[in-house]
Amino acid sequence: MSLLLTLFSVLSIALGAFFFLVGTLGLIRLPDLFSRLHALTKTDNLGLGLVILGLLPWLPDPFTALKLVLIWLLVLLAGATGSHLIAKRALRGDGEDLTP
Amino acid sequence: MAIARRLLVFFGVWIILAGWDPVSWVIGLPAVLFASWVYGRLAEDSAAPGFRRMFAFLPFFLRESFRGGADVARRILRPRMRIKPGFQTYRMRLSQPAARVLFLDCISLLPGSLSADRHQDVIHVHLLDASLDVTPELADLERRVAAIFGERLEPHAYV
Amino acid sequence: MSDFLIATALVLLLSMTAGLIRVVVGPTPADRMMGAQLLGTTGIAVLLLLGVAFELPALADVALIFALLAAVAVSAFTRRRLDREPDA
Repeated sequence: MSLLLTLFSVLSIALGAFFFLVGTLGLIRLPDLFSRLHALTKTDNLGLGLVILGLLPWLPDPFTALKLVLIWLLVLLAGATGSHLIAKRALRGDGEDLTP
Repeated sequence: MAIARRLLVFFGVWIILAGWDPVSWVIGLPAVLFASWVYGRLAEDSAAPGFRRMFAFLPFFLRESFRGGADVARRILRPRMRIKPGFQTYRMRLSQPAARVLFLDCISLLPGSLSADRHQDVIHVHLLDASLDVTPELADLERRVAAIFGERLEPHAYV
Repeated sequence: MSDFLIATALVLLLSMTAGLIRVVVGPTPADRMMGAQLLGTTGIAVLLLLGVAFELPALADVALIFALLAAVAVSAFTRRRLDREPDA
């Protein structure tokens, strides 16, 4: 494996881990539910995307690479849709959250 | 034609997930047929997104995802977080269900915005900084999503 | 390279532990759900990193199941309604 490719992988994975850490920090620090949803969806998906990007050159075959990309797309879709559902539920107050 | 294309896509997905092992088709074949059938029922009212048009969307999508993540990271990492959360509304012009779902999901990936609720055509967007008007950005995104599904948008009627 | 991957996985595990704070503190069930979602996504990244580090491709399948379960968990959670809540 060429040095350049290794460097690229290390940078990408490290940056991905950084975004995961920031996401966790945001989830703890941000003051309200909606703002926390921002941190959750955006940083997580970007973090996972960068980690997967960094792993791509090290996979045994292209099928595994496609599988990882598929996992990323699934997480993206689930994350964005899930955050919309959580926000909607909180806004409409039809869950048990907003009862005093 | 549409059915053939759908089957081909789901066969491809199964091969990616399970590999070439012929035994896996015992599960795979019913799963692929079922997935194609469900897809057909759910996507009844939507045009099939073109592959080439999806690829044309990809660079924009990746760039905005990165910007979105970097933006929220910058805000979180400031010692005094720079946020002024609030809501804005946007009237959506897309009519196909699949295009609407994609639009709502992509809003959540744009920097600082999150699709929170929808009543008919009106989307409630939550913003980390509600002092800026995001209507132009959303209109741009809507135009790009409409292009994937080959949908023509009516000009905005500002109320 | 695999040392680096394992080290990154450890860092992510620590991040998951910190994310548990939100699950414990809440205050609303939605907050706890978000904490759990974060655990799920970070867990997927950890599995993928370890899968490459230890050359265990099956871990990618485990990650896939995590992703599917996370999607189902959130939709199930948001379908929960007040009137169907059992008495606490």
